[in-house]
Amino acid sequence: MSAPPVAAPQAQVEKAKKKAKPVSRQRLSFGQRLRRDWPLLLMCLPAMLLLLVFHYIPALGNIIAFQDYNPFVGDDPLEAFLYSEWIGFGNFEYLFKNAAFWDSVVNTLSITAFQLVFYFPIPIFLAMLLNSIMSPRIRSLVQSVVYLPHFFSWVLVVSLFQMMIGGAGLLAQTLRHAGYTPPDMMTNPETFMFLITSQALWKDAGWGMIVFLAALVAIDTSLYEAAAADGAGRWRRMWHITLPGLRSVIILLLILRLGDALNVGFEQFVLQREMVGREAAEVVDTYVYYQGIAVQQWGVGAAAGLFKAVVGILLIVGANKLAHRFGEQGIYSKS
Amino acid sequence: MANTLPGASTNRRNFLGLVGLGAASLAGGGMLSGCSKEPGTSGSATNAEQAAGLVPTFKDSTLVQPDVKGVRPMADGYLKYPTSLADAVSEKAITSGKPVTASTPWWGPAPPTANKLVEAVSADMGGTIQFSIQDGNTYGDKLNTMLGARDVPELTCIPGWEVDKLARFSEGVHAIFEDLTPHLAGDKVSAYPLLAGLDSVAWQESVWGGKLMGVPFPVDAPFPSVLFYRKDVADERGIAAPTTLAELHEFGKKFTNADKGEWAFGDIWLEVQQICGAGGSENGWLKTADGKVVHRMELPEYKQAVEFMAKLYAEKLVHPDIASSKGGDVTTLFKGGKVFMYATGGGSWKETWRPAVQTNPTFNMQAVKVFGAEQGKAPVRWKARSAIIWTFIKKGLGQERTQELLRVLNYTAAPFGTKEWELQNYGAEGTHFKRDANGTPVTNDLWVKEFANQYIFLGGRPPVVVGGPDIPTYANDFVTWGNDATQYLEKNPWEGIKVETPSSQAALAKPTEDKITDVLRGRTPVSEFDKIVSDWRAAGGDAARDFYAKVLADNGR
Repeated sequence: MSAPPVAAPQAQVEKAKKKAKPVSRQRLSFGQRLRRDWPLLLMCLPAMLLLLVFHYIPALGNIIAFQDYNPFVGDDPLEAFLYSEWIGFGNFEYLFKNAAFWDSVVNTLSITAFQLVFYFPIPIFLAMLLNSIMSPRIRSLVQSVVYLPHFFSWVLVVSLFQMMIGGAGLLAQTLRHAGYTPPDMMTNPETFMFLITSQALWKDAGWGMIVFLAALVAIDTSLYEAAAADGAGRWRRMWHITLPGLRSVIILLLILRLGDALNVGFEQFVLQREMVGREAAEVVDTYVYYQGIAVQQWGVGAAAGLFKAVVGILLIVGANKLAHRFGEQGIYSKS
Repeated sequence: MANTLPGASTNRRNFLGLVGLGAASLAGGGMLSGCSKEPGTSGSATNAEQAAGLVPTFKDSTLVQPDVKGVRPMADGYLKYPTSLADAVSEKAITSGKPVTASTPWWGPAPPTANKLVEAVSADMGGTIQFSIQDGNTYGDKLNTMLGARDVPELTCIPGWEVDKLARFSEGVHAIFEDLTPHLAGDKVSAYPLLAGLDSVAWQESVWGGKLMGVPFPVDAPFPSVLFYRKDVADERGIAAPTTLAELHEFGKKFTNADKGEWAFGDIWLEVQQICGAGGSENGWLKTADGKVVHRMELPEYKQAVEFMAKLYAEKLVHPDIASSKGGDVTTLFKGGKVFMYATGGGSWKETWRPAVQTNPTFNMQAVKVFGAEQGKAPVRWKARSAIIWTFIKKGLGQERTQELLRVLNYTAAPFGTKEWELQNYGAEGTHFKRDANGTPVTNDLWVKEFANQYIFLGGRPPVVVGGPDIPTYANDFVTWGNDATQYLEKNPWEGIKVETPSSQAALAKPTEDKITDVLRGRTPVSEFDKIVSDWRAAGGDAARDFYAKVLADNGR
């Protein structure tokens, strides 16, 4: 494919514009736009391809939510999709009639709500704190230290907590030697919510602040200077400049988080389920694993996935609408 | 999008109509059930008589007389290594030169791909096996997707406990794997003499839907679990192994010292159930003396076990790391003297003992002689299936290749006392092991790195119990223990029948197990136990009973 010089289509566009000017700002035809934008489209192609292969095509598999899917009918895996028995809403019915499923939904939503209050704001504070450090060397050191745990696997994080605050861990043994009875921190269903949130904080709060740090850098420093000159103190500057500067990013992430309300992670819960029992640790994803994947009720698993997606979309659209109502940009807006 | 095709079936308005209809039917649960069907399988079972007719004719391949004779189904033990080895397979197994692909499980670090042990066996076999060695703990999840996608290697090794969890396996096995009946049934097996040496019951258990589908790996000790303890430490402290439930409790109290980071027990739940006498070898099911089919949860012995185990947890006699996770690394704690008793499969005895004596020469891991809840009350030992692993051949590879692969499985079935057995178990002399004064192989670090039971799990072999100079009493200990325990083996009326439970009942197992765990760990009071059982019965337990009873009736048992 020999690429035509970029200048040529641009010249044509200019020509077209000139021609159109007297009438009004006429829209360009599809062909014209194609000629103008092809390098951009070409650059998008790999990403589109990834999206197609790993998201759109697999999404077709959702049909098994309406089937009693049997991977072994027909002569190949594709035929299994086509020839599995259609059972209408049978899988959804199985799911919605099951009290354990609703338990898991309630658990998941409670965890989301709890973390919205006790987890979500932390990276923002952390970013502001870090931003206020002047020495670049200390700043990058702190940054690396708090980023690092993000790259640890959950297995590692959970065993680390186990070794530190578990029943035979460092803290428990130290307390025993000092003559105290150690508290039950890893196996108490009542405090499980605090445990998982502190694990999530330790692991991901540092990583979560990256976006906020970027937003902070984008705030015009002359605003701070002007405010300082007018006699605004540190708190006033934070309240009137920093937070408003971050507001759109905060709302954007909040909406995205709401869309993910039914996703609170899987490994963290599967690993600690035995410690606290099903009632505290069963979330939608672990429910799907044990009642869908582990016993190969694929259709039920797919139905639960669809349910999650629909709830997620409704929440995102709803939250976005709400954001618009308050004059925010949200994650998208009608052009 | 103004110009929709005039005949298009779904314009925006009636699409919304359709969605609205869907929502309405979702809202009215009753309407929903009118047009839909519950998902899941209804279960299946192979007829036992049918299976018996296909079994390859048995021809004993034992070469060496055992030093300790096992009471069947316990395998024989060997204390001495044979001085001369037979060459069991003189012709090359692989003649096409085409590498064989295979998938096997392994519970340990993955061996390197550039592997001298594999090279040595390949040279003798006439061709290479390209192993894909999978983590045994997560193998089931992998198999799930491999089978679903029908993307399997030429030889696939599947443990029996994974087969139990694979829904519709009885259908899948015919869709994915080759029917071996035309090659092995009856006297046809004579083309593969070493396969003829595998146990007949194990072969019988390799029949699905009237066809011989896999090559079995016969079990060496028919017990799903063994209770192990640190005899060296117990002797040093002058504490005897328990012989009753009360003594077991005492043992727990004597060995627990939280200040020193020591707890008596790992998980011993499987053993406590058997000590109390709760049977149920067939997935928890048993037939009582008066002919009723019951699940072990319904037995008073089981309730006694639950109460006892809950007491152990409540008194904090179980190591906290084990109490807090199912897969806690108990062997490390046991080897390190932080846990003194736990229950696990007999296969891990050697694997745990061997490396431990390298660092602690006095380390002595022993199986507790089987005992009942009280003096004079007999325990029940669950009986494991005879075939605990199967190797399947991929479907549609053609007559010649299938025969070649069967020759490979014939090679891996070489018995103790052959050059092939030695090569597959110890690797090459000089590279992986050297011989001591008695001619017994002593393995080195390279062996530890490269050996992953690859060839052992692949296809069967006549089971033997063999130790080594580092654990000289092992074979005798194991066979003597097993011979004693064998007398308590429960008779399983479903033996030889392949039962596949309906998926709704399979799905019921986990929530029920969760609730029992809650009781054991003290999160739910023991008084709730009866309700858990009655809930289970209502939610599908009684239906499962009917299913298991029907399987027996259909087989005239």
